[in-house]
Amino acid sequence: MNSESSPAAASLTPIAQSDEAPSSVLDANLQVRLKNEAGKLLLLMPPELENHAAAPGWSELWLQLKQRLTAGDRFWQSETPVHLIARDRLLDGRQLQAIADALNDVQLKLKRVYTSRRQTAVAAATAGFSVEQQTPLSYLNQPSEAGKSLEEPLYVQTTVRSGMEIRHPGTVVIVGDVNPGSSVIADGDILVWGSLRGVAHAGASGNIRCLIMALRLEPTQLRIGEQVARAPEKAPAQFSPEVAYVREDGIRITQATDLAKFRPNAGSPNT
Amino acid sequence: MTRTIVVTSGKGGVGKTTTTANLGMALAQRGRKVAVMDADFGLRNLDLLLGLENRIVYTAIEVLSGDCRLDQALVKDKRQPNLALLAAAQNRTKEAINADQMKQLVASLSESFEYVLVDCPAGIELGFQNAIAPAQEALVVTTPEISAVRDADRVVGLLEANDVNKQHLIINRIKPAMVQEDLMMSVRDVQEILAIPLAGVIPDDERVIVSTNKGEPLVLEQRLTLAGLAYQNIARRLEGEEVPFLDFTAAHDDLFSRIRRMFRSTPR
Repeated sequence: MNSESSPAAASLTPIAQSDEAPSSVLDANLQVRLKNEAGKLLLLMPPELENHAAAPGWSELWLQLKQRLTAGDRFWQSETPVHLIARDRLLDGRQLQAIADALNDVQLKLKRVYTSRRQTAVAAATAGFSVEQQTPLSYLNQPSEAGKSLEEPLYVQTTVRSGMEIRHPGTVVIVGDVNPGSSVIADGDILVWGSLRGVAHAGASGNIRCLIMALRLEPTQLRIGEQVARAPEKAPAQFSPEVAYVREDGIRITQATDLAKFRPNAGSPNT
Repeated sequence: MTRTIVVTSGKGGVGKTTTTANLGMALAQRGRKVAVMDADFGLRNLDLLLGLENRIVYTAIEVLSGDCRLDQALVKDKRQPNLALLAAAQNRTKEAINADQMKQLVASLSESFEYVLVDCPAGIELGFQNAIAPAQEALVVTTPEISAVRDADRVVGLLEANDVNKQHLIINRIKPAMVQEDLMMSVRDVQEILAIPLAGVIPDDERVIVSTNKGEPLVLEQRLTLAGLAYQNIARRLEGEEVPFLDFTAAHDDLFSRIRRMFRSTPR
């Protein structure tokens, strides 16, 4: 069977094939995360890493939180209790209130705050939330995220706009466009039900069996595992749903409808 | 109920201040009481475009410090009494004011005006944060250039994150002839990326430069140019009127350009 039936497959430009993709070590802890757990939502704050250039400040966390909340608001039942896992983040009363208000806007209730910082615990108690103070070590001793199987997929309905970055230690599903200037970085697959025009990095922790698929694939750059490729200079005359995958000679693109024909196990690259 | 609308863009030089001046004037011409507020502390321009520079006595800073009353700082327009300007301080920087003070100023303006238009500085730093803090609505101005659209996209995202969800798009400085030749992004191309409702399209017009230098907004002219008319239409749309979009292409769609297009023929 000729697997090069798609014209796009031939024209994709691999760059720096043998070089490593910039190791965007997907530290899942660097973004605000919401996680379902037994009838409640966990709101996980990234830890405060001192002297760490990538550590986000409050205003950045705040933006991430707002974006995640608006992008997923139809998946939460109203009045779901939320537990804030603040770890060693220093949060003052005003910031805690801002978080509670933002949750309130999407009918979620902040019920409990877990923290290892005394100041945060005091601020939370003063603001009227129930508080559980943990020793700084207790969250460190929790099984680390690395080496585990992937997180449950992140499903967001939003336009990912310039300057936004979505990182997730699992598969990411985006209902909406991914605009140029934005990036999506996932440990699993990336599915875009819309146009993918930004940067997408699937299998960011090294899994080259991951896939990137979009209804309209005109990315700035594609990365899978350690492979990097950019889209052909000339946009195709017409677009149809496409899938990017890694073959021996780099990242290839094929029509979505052709994928199963020559890659029968493509449906479950993560198992 | 006062509508507080921030005019913003991300990128500089795309026409925020021109838009603020013209829309403020157009709304005032329609009998609305309008305050335009310059949020660009340290690089104020709105007073120049309105031709009111030499009449500024107090600025927003003096109002906040209590050195004057709000109505003393407001500069009434000489041609259009419904329009008033609250100037920014030119000898200060963005740090001279914070978001709460902006809200406080807008709240006091709301007592006597139906519209408050805030002219946002370029960028997405403190000055931008201050300018959008009091706003319920935003007009996002862009030109059909990839850099301006990219920055506008970022701004749309930031506005959403700050709960300014009522946003409209103004595409400024479009050159219909170039769009037809496929040399410039079209209105549709821009909208496809930004995906927010369109408030209006302003054609490129050299008269804007003249009007800026004279301090006379385009909408004041006796014989309106297309750009002036486009601004008036945006004002009408802001007021809830259904106004069809101007067709700029007609003038350029002659036999000659049709033939040229035929030869170019890039199927899209």
